[in-house]
Amino acid sequence: MNRVAEILRHVRRSPEGRLGLIILTAIILAGAAGPLFLPDPLAQPDILGGANLAPGTGHWLGTDQLSRDVLARVVSGARISLTVAFIAVALSITLGAAVGLVAGYVGGWVDVILMRVVDGALAIPRLFLLLLIVAVWEALPLAAFIVLLGTTGWFGTSRLVRGEVLRLKTEPYIQAAEALGARRHRVLFHHLLPNTAGPVLVAATLGVGNVILLEAGLSFLGVGIRPPTPSWGGMILEAQEVLFVAPWSSVFPGLAIVLTVLAVNLVGDAVREAVDPQHA
Amino acid sequence: MLPWIAGRTAQAVATFVVATILIFMLMRLAPGDPLARLMGDRPMTREEVATLRRLYGLDQPMIAQFGRFTYGVVRGDLGTSIEYRLPVTRLIRERLPASLLLGGTVLVLNFTLGVWLGALQAVRLGKRFDRWLSTISLAGFALPSFWLGLILAWLIGVKWRLLPALGMMDPLLPQDAGALTRALDIARHLVLPAVTLSVVSIAATIRYQRTAMIDALAAPFIRTARAKGLSERRVVWRHAWRNALFPVMTLFGLWLPIVVTGSVFVEQVFSWPGLGSLAANAISGRDYPVIMGTSLLAAALVIAGGWLTDLVYAVLDPRVRHG
Amino acid sequence: MLRLTRVASGAAMLLGTALCHAVPDAAAQRAETLVIATGQEAALPIPTLISGSGNQDVADLLFLRLASLGPDLRTAGDLGFTPELASSWHRRDSVTLVFDLNPRARWHDGHPVTARDVVYTFGRARDPKTGGKLAPTVRHIASVAAVGDGRVVVTFDRAYNEQVYDAVFHVQPLPSHILTAIPDSLLATSGFASQPIGNGPYRWGRRVAGQFVELHAVTDHFLGPPRIRRVVFRVAESPDARLNMLLTGEADALYGIVPPLANLGRVAANAQLRLITVPINTVGYLLFNQRSPDNRGRPHPILGDVRVRRALVHGIDRRAITRSLFGDYAEVPVGPVPQLSWIRSLAGPPPPYDPAQARVLLKEAGWRDTDGDGILDRGGRPLALTLNIPATSAPRRQMGLQMQAQLRQLGVRVEMAVLSIPVFVERRNAGQFDMEIAAARMDPTPSGIRNSWSCASVGVPNANVGGYCSPRIDSLMGLALSSPEPAPLWKAVLEQIRADAPAAFLYAPMTIIAIDRRFREVAIPPLSTWSTVAQWSIAR
Repeated sequence: MNRVAEILRHVRRSPEGRLGLIILTAIILAGAAGPLFLPDPLAQPDILGGANLAPGTGHWLGTDQLSRDVLARVVSGARISLTVAFIAVALSITLGAAVGLVAGYVGGWVDVILMRVVDGALAIPRLFLLLLIVAVWEALPLAAFIVLLGTTGWFGTSRLVRGEVLRLKTEPYIQAAEALGARRHRVLFHHLLPNTAGPVLVAATLGVGNVILLEAGLSFLGVGIRPPTPSWGGMILEAQEVLFVAPWSSVFPGLAIVLTVLAVNLVGDAVREAVDPQHA
Repeated sequence: MLPWIAGRTAQAVATFVVATILIFMLMRLAPGDPLARLMGDRPMTREEVATLRRLYGLDQPMIAQFGRFTYGVVRGDLGTSIEYRLPVTRLIRERLPASLLLGGTVLVLNFTLGVWLGALQAVRLGKRFDRWLSTISLAGFALPSFWLGLILAWLIGVKWRLLPALGMMDPLLPQDAGALTRALDIARHLVLPAVTLSVVSIAATIRYQRTAMIDALAAPFIRTARAKGLSERRVVWRHAWRNALFPVMTLFGLWLPIVVTGSVFVEQVFSWPGLGSLAANAISGRDYPVIMGTSLLAAALVIAGGWLTDLVYAVLDPRVRHG
Repeated sequence: MLRLTRVASGAAMLLGTALCHAVPDAAAQRAETLVIATGQEAALPIPTLISGSGNQDVADLLFLRLASLGPDLRTAGDLGFTPELASSWHRRDSVTLVFDLNPRARWHDGHPVTARDVVYTFGRARDPKTGGKLAPTVRHIASVAAVGDGRVVVTFDRAYNEQVYDAVFHVQPLPSHILTAIPDSLLATSGFASQPIGNGPYRWGRRVAGQFVELHAVTDHFLGPPRIRRVVFRVAESPDARLNMLLTGEADALYGIVPPLANLGRVAANAQLRLITVPINTVGYLLFNQRSPDNRGRPHPILGDVRVRRALVHGIDRRAITRSLFGDYAEVPVGPVPQLSWIRSLAGPPPPYDPAQARVLLKEAGWRDTDGDGILDRGGRPLALTLNIPATSAPRRQMGLQMQAQLRQLGVRVEMAVLSIPVFVERRNAGQFDMEIAAARMDPTPSGIRNSWSCASVGVPNANVGGYCSPRIDSLMGLALSSPEPAPLWKAVLEQIRADAPAAFLYAPMTIIAIDRRFREVAIPPLSTWSTVAQWSIAR
């Protein structure tokens, strides 16, 4: 785990990485503490008189077409988006690493079968894959949605880890460990797994940005997070028809997406630099 | 060489078969009545529903439906759309040109502008230009395409009326208009969707080219060239860039599927008559034959893109074949 | 490098300037063309094959009927219809009608329209294999026969007062001289389907897939030449894109401006557009499922109780919901009666918004908040209901969110399920839902109520999916259809529906249509919006 600490140190030192971390921390803090100070994001105080109000005192980012406070919804959406993204990516990284380790280490027909299925799944665009699967549930609970995002995101990671394992297998110290009779799981978890941490971490950070965009896209298509739970994509969908009259109710959630994904990707970039310093 | 190509091709075919099975299974697991759209809001009797179900083979067991489907695919028949009642191949053929145009334009934009910017970044490595462009292109990458599209359509299309924000051509253009007028008309409609799609995807090419160019600039032959006293411009753009272009061009194959899939959102926002919106509509309407057709096309493109990339690599870099 | 940059940016600026100017040739065409924005592509506008309003709108200009509904939309009686293909008709006896075709009626390929065409098309419509959803609408027609080229005799299996309506309205004749040569299975892919030959005031021009359909005026049409030379139906699936088309002048006409209400101001601010308001045949309601979703033989564990249903009706501020979406362009109906329906004036006011009364009713029904979580419960079971909403409908989604918030105040938890259309329809037809927001297009005749609210229609797909069954209104409706004085009977029907609360009736809207001011003599019939375009004119 020294490796991870070292990477994090590098991220903090690079200006882009630091910027990303600062933005991300701010967003996480806002998402965690903001709801304490803001109105209820679900409350519809005055549907006939208080809808589509422009930003001003009382409603800093205005209100949407159901008279709900946009700031409260954006902040509350941060909580949802980040939670969904982090859990989903953790899941897909774990799955991908597991499959990659097994395929790479065991080899043989296990590898062949696993990789054929992974190839087949990779050939179906993820958005199509998700749209097809999402349709299986008539009303997708949040937990299932997260699992779904997680279980459709590991194919690339598994290839990455497998490649890394194949490379490491030829390294003298691994061969030495095996020759000395180290048990399989010991080789796997003490030697192979830690050494794949670098590329996996890169994939993970970039994956978070990806999942946030994907979640927003699905919610925009109306098949993601269920209303009334505020999600950025869903907010843009609902505000789409009043874009001209009340642009704030779609502009701000959009900006929130951009800022968050940008921050995550800046961090991801810095991680990549730390893992692969030649191309810094 | 030939055995390697044969092996790689067999692998591609196997992948396609796996993808076909996966898509078919997923699709039929989904609940939802594909005849729903035909029913509309009117009452229908049970007999009518049953007749329609028989007509589309929806009453057969799954295996039989899959058999029927694969038999059709082999003969180049993807079935008949439930919603449009037209052959799927025809629907795809009708929508393909628009998708090719949009996807192709985006590919060309990304691989000219992106390659150029990426190379320039590597030359000015670590300078302000490099850092800013990195951040800006990352910001583009962070933009949801549907949101950018909505905002552009709002501001440029409707508020300022600089460019048309929907469709692919002006229906009022006389049918006997000259080719140039026609091309210009389509080009005007193309700008907003192409820019939207390019902004959100160009970062990948820029970074790839930047990395390749950094490698190229660090290569021994560049040092030799510099030592020979060639001008810096010549060294950078003649020698280094030429070598850095090759790895980026192989990326082209990987981006091929953008033609179908990259544009689902953008096509919807700008009413672009391509395959992306056809596919998205079919999925939400459970139009099985159209879903199968478009998904298979997308999968085929992904697989073909990967196959092509590997092939080019193998031809140019013999080490791959033995790797 | 610098030089290249300069050249590139110069070229980009030039290109930009060129692109930002409209193509001039199009302007001349615009003066003679009506561009209608539509949400559905007319890929197959062939009568008897039609699905969807996109196809129907185009088919209405290509294919005439024997006669169309008159301006007052009366469906009963033998008169009051406007002749189209039939120049006149008379009654032979109580079950036989005779139609004489206009001898000048021609197909677009020059062939005369004959009685054979009418007989052929009724044959298709009445055959469940080819007629699809047309078949039930002509179920009372016993036979259709040709007498010579110009006369059609229609016989019915019973005497009733909507015989002319059934004979002329549902079926648009097709050219038998072309179609008899095409096997039915190949019709959809035939040359006829891609280049339809009709007999209407407009002939087929071209279809550009996913973009538009273009029709040209038939300059020597037997009912008089249309004054608008071309009609273009331009497709944009997103409602916002359609509105943009209208506001940028890329389209001249758009149906259904509201909801959202915000659109109204934007359209009204555009001096080039005129707004026309038309009553329509739609009613929107929150439907309660009265049968258990798990077992259709049993009543719904919560909604089977009429007190709960009435409490929900009282607890929903239907006026606020309707006003927030439609402004003044919709009313809260008392029952399944659209603004078009003549029986609308018979009904009393809808049940008031009265949360206090709602609480009393729920208490009576045994629902109390025993565990203090803010949600009522009874016997350990919370008062939680799912609400199904089709994903494509932004207005229904908004209504759902409002009702969810309002019912929460009463201690009722509503889970919204936003479903894709096929799943929505499948759930509804299988009875697997608690509540759904439905928007029904009612038949022009009041007897349309029977289709979705009678005991006989329970279990018919897309009909009475909530399982509402009241023998009393069934017998009242039966009487109303044969009575010479049906008004009091219909009034009693509506009062019974109000008391039984099978649904919370939310809105009966008008529709707002925006049309560019250069079009004159614009008349919009409520049921087929664009069918009279041939009589419009254009200001020069």
